[in-house]
Amino acid sequence: MNAIYNIALTTVGEAVRRRVLLIILMIGVLLLSIIPSLSVLSARSELSTMISTMYAVLRLTSALIAIILTIYMIPNEIERRTIYTILSKPVQRWQFLLGKYLGAIAALALMIILMSVVMVVLFAVLQHPDTAKLIEIAKQPIFYFIEMCLLAAVALFFSTFTTPLVNFFLSIGVWGVGTVLNPLYGSIANNTTANHTMQSVAKFVIGFLPNFSNYDVKNPIINPGQQLENTTFYSFTVIGYGLIYIAGLLIGGMLIFDKREV
Amino acid sequence: MRVGKRSGLIGWICGLFVAQFLIHGFFISDQWVKNFAPAVKNHKGVITGGLSPDQLMLELFGFREFLAGILWVRADSFFDQGNYDAVLPIIRLCTILDPKDIDVYATGMWHIAYNFTDDDQRSDRRYIAPALALGQEGANANPETYELYFETGWIWYHKIDDDYDHAVKWFEEANSKDDIQPARRNLLAHAYERNDQPDKELETLYKNIGISETDAKKTTGSMSYGDKATVDTDNDNIDNTIIRMTQRGWFAEKDGTYAQGDYDTKPPFDVGFSARVTVESEKVVRIEGTWNVLPVGTRIRLVLRDATIYDPSGKERIDQPAQMKWDYASGVNLDPSKEVTFMQDQGFVKNRRFDKRIDMSKDPTMYPFDANQKVYYVEFFYDPRSAPSHIQDKFGWNGEGMTDKNYLNTDVRPGQRCLYCKLELTRDQILRRHEWQDQIPVVQTPNFNDKAASGADDRVITLGGTLRGQTK
Repeated sequence: MNAIYNIALTTVGEAVRRRVLLIILMIGVLLLSIIPSLSVLSARSELSTMISTMYAVLRLTSALIAIILTIYMIPNEIERRTIYTILSKPVQRWQFLLGKYLGAIAALALMIILMSVVMVVLFAVLQHPDTAKLIEIAKQPIFYFIEMCLLAAVALFFSTFTTPLVNFFLSIGVWGVGTVLNPLYGSIANNTTANHTMQSVAKFVIGFLPNFSNYDVKNPIINPGQQLENTTFYSFTVIGYGLIYIAGLLIGGMLIFDKREV
Repeated sequence: MRVGKRSGLIGWICGLFVAQFLIHGFFISDQWVKNFAPAVKNHKGVITGGLSPDQLMLELFGFREFLAGILWVRADSFFDQGNYDAVLPIIRLCTILDPKDIDVYATGMWHIAYNFTDDDQRSDRRYIAPALALGQEGANANPETYELYFETGWIWYHKIDDDYDHAVKWFEEANSKDDIQPARRNLLAHAYERNDQPDKELETLYKNIGISETDAKKTTGSMSYGDKATVDTDNDNIDNTIIRMTQRGWFAEKDGTYAQGDYDTKPPFDVGFSARVTVESEKVVRIEGTWNVLPVGTRIRLVLRDATIYDPSGKERIDQPAQMKWDYASGVNLDPSKEVTFMQDQGFVKNRRFDKRIDMSKDPTMYPFDANQKVYYVEFFYDPRSAPSHIQDKFGWNGEGMTDKNYLNTDVRPGQRCLYCKLELTRDQILRRHEWQDQIPVVQTPNFNDKAASGADDRVITLGGTLRGQTK
């Protein structure tokens, strides 16, 4: 346990010092701060456009940070040969991988918190909303954090057997597909004219890929007044879904990494 | 790692994947679609159509509302350039990307229903059904606000100007929403009146006054200038309606004493309708006729259409006397049948006659006169419910005070006494082809009086006595 904690702590330190991540973070914060000026695009729905664009920037920046943070973790350790010094100590490979992952999501949490604070402060200064509205706005970043934990697990899984460049495109691809899975599911389920067998196959495939769109719950926040059903149950279910998927990916990664020549 | 341990972990992975599959399938997917899906609920298909690759990227990464905003600004520039066709797909994209943008729905409906016109500013009626479908979709996506219910009701009330029960239905829904503007509540009252429900009109006006007074008490304690003006208008409307209900015999009709009383609607006035249609040249018709009503204000609906009209899928027949089944569309299709010809205009009556030259030759897209249609109808329709008050005072809400020896009709709009006349023209006649190249096709009602229609027997009315201030 101590080994995992130490590896995680070191990983957070490394992540905070990495310039490329800081640059992405800075761009994200800058983009967030110029979004209010884009409200001219939608005269009467300026508020919903502003919040949704802020969320989109937050999500995109977080995804880039999650991927870039994770894809280099294992390959860098191998390339710099620092992994030998770690594994020569009484540290199991699975502990190393888990420590790296926990460190990555801790660093990710710090960056998402920073961006969320900027977003909420900007919103508070410009719109003067009540506290309830601010709390509501802060809900979506929590879901994004779980989404990014899942994305980081995907990237870490790929990093156990691919190069960083291949991993980057693989992870981006999986995330891109995963963000449209729910709308895709909805359209397949609604399409009564489609072939029944094809519908079943499509639903089966959708069920196996990591579904990032589960965490996109911004719609009722940006368009208030909708009737929602069982949101607490939904929140716990998607958190559980994420944890199960992450566990599967980490175990898979551990199995592959255990066999890998370093 | 030992082989047994590896197998165990692989088993765990399989178990976890099955678990996530089941959780997602049973507890998440449907719940997400129900609670959090941003797209229009009944929209089928992934939202990719019509987006360029860069726009698609933006949409996929969650910039839906931002993208909709950019597209709407672009639509505005197309509108300013008069490029109305280019605006249509953008409206659709914007509504799909951001179904909560009420302005896009409202402006889009108005644009579709009103702005597609021919060279003489006649609306392309084929676009009314998509406009209504867009309104229905917008109202479904935004049930918390009155706006799209009101806008859809307005298209029925003002643009279609017929079948007022539809306008009533939409305005009732709009009035049930808390955010409706006080002045807009009155439209429901007007729709009730046109739908021969003046009692409901009164009820609505009294209710509106009550709402204005209660609102004033809740806020400042006294009514604002705007509220006072609204209440004054409501009171005037109440007075007028009660007088009209009495003088037009509405109360007597309800208690079964209409036959015994003397009302403004008695005896029914013979409007003496007759008409002639002359095809002057290819796709150019002159429509003349008589209408024996001296005061100005009568507008007779003139329709020239395919004898049979089907919806774009070709399954449902949608032509009806002097109109279409406007709400046939179950979904938004901004590309209505381009094979359909449906021209609607109005014959304005002056000096007891109307005369209109309609040129459809300059707009072949709007008036295609498709080769599959051999017969066309020219329809004349007059509905007292759309008449101005000074004419309605004589004709009544249901045409009780109106008659015509030849064309009074109680079937085309059940429960109403309307005027309806249908003449037939062939495609060859309208296009002046074959034997009609050198002959001028003329169709007319048997009672058409050339002399009356040309104004040759106009009566000149001389006011007797001396006008005030005039010396002999």
